[in-house]
Amino acid sequence: MSVAAEVEQRFAAARTDAGLLKAGLFVEEVAALAYAAAADGPLTGADRAQALRFARHERAHAEVFETMLFALTVPVREHATGADLQALMPALRRAAPQQAWERLAELEGAAIAGQQLLGRRLQALDALRSVATVMAGGAQHLVAIRDTLADEPVTKAFETGR
Amino acid sequence: MVGTRRRFLGAAGALVGGALLGGCGAEEAGREPPSDAEVLGRLLRLELAAGAAVIGVAGAELIARQDALHARRLAAASGAQGREPAAAAQDAATALARKQEALFAYVEALPLLVDPELRVLVMQIAGSEAEHLAALRLATGKDPVPDPFAGFTDRMAA
Repeated sequence: MSVAAEVEQRFAAARTDAGLLKAGLFVEEVAALAYAAAADGPLTGADRAQALRFARHERAHAEVFETMLFALTVPVREHATGADLQALMPALRRAAPQQAWERLAELEGAAIAGQQLLGRRLQALDALRSVATVMAGGAQHLVAIRDTLADEPVTKAFETGR
Repeated sequence: MVGTRRRFLGAAGALVGGALLGGCGAEEAGREPPSDAEVLGRLLRLELAAGAAVIGVAGAELIARQDALHARRLAAASGAQGREPAAAAQDAATALARKQEALFAYVEALPLLVDPELRVLVMQIAGSEAEHLAALRLATGKDPVPDPFAGFTDRMAA
């Protein structure tokens, strides 16, 4: 199953606001791990620096989801681990630089698609503003990655993550 | 970055906690919440202003075309007739400022929309506007992603 399909399944399985936000938290935590793994593996130089910076961004995004769960008085007992990353993106550490960026772009897109599912299903509508700020940050990551990959165009008229 | 992240998280927590505890402010104050068409009509005006600001900016032709698509979808969804404003200053700094204003407006409008499909549409356009900001920065040799939250860190902490 593709990264996008697995992430989509995780969001789709959530039945409550807490479940949706936990799915969002998981994906941001995995993304932080993925960027860090790519920086430790195939990426070097400026690419590595970019990946490390995006890993920090993803950790900040994850903290927003955790804050929202705390606001819902939902304790966060589980966090994504290296094993989760390995299950979702098993070949990332061995990938060539271009393939690594492509996989990271796929994960960013899947996160955006999941966050837009929250736009449709979240009951606590004010929380959507915080979700959307994370989504906007992810969309900007996509532009930087598409530029690195020389993918054209770097922007979409309607960013669906797909 | 830790300081800015803390400021953002504090603001995000207050926003979400306040929303959950306090309900809808507009309704509690006895005011009619705006209709979806009114919300989209306001966004259309901002979209047209942001779109006008990129016309003529070097390397922004695709962005201008995508803005026109945003305006068309917003007009169709709201029933509003957007009038194309005159092209603005045609410099990247103005375009960035207008785009950032538009992104703020899209995000802030989200909880006001009753129709879930319109919320998704606004998120898709917000994602595109965030991308436009990054692309405009790239075109001027700047860091495309200076803030993990697409410019919201300072906005929410203010």
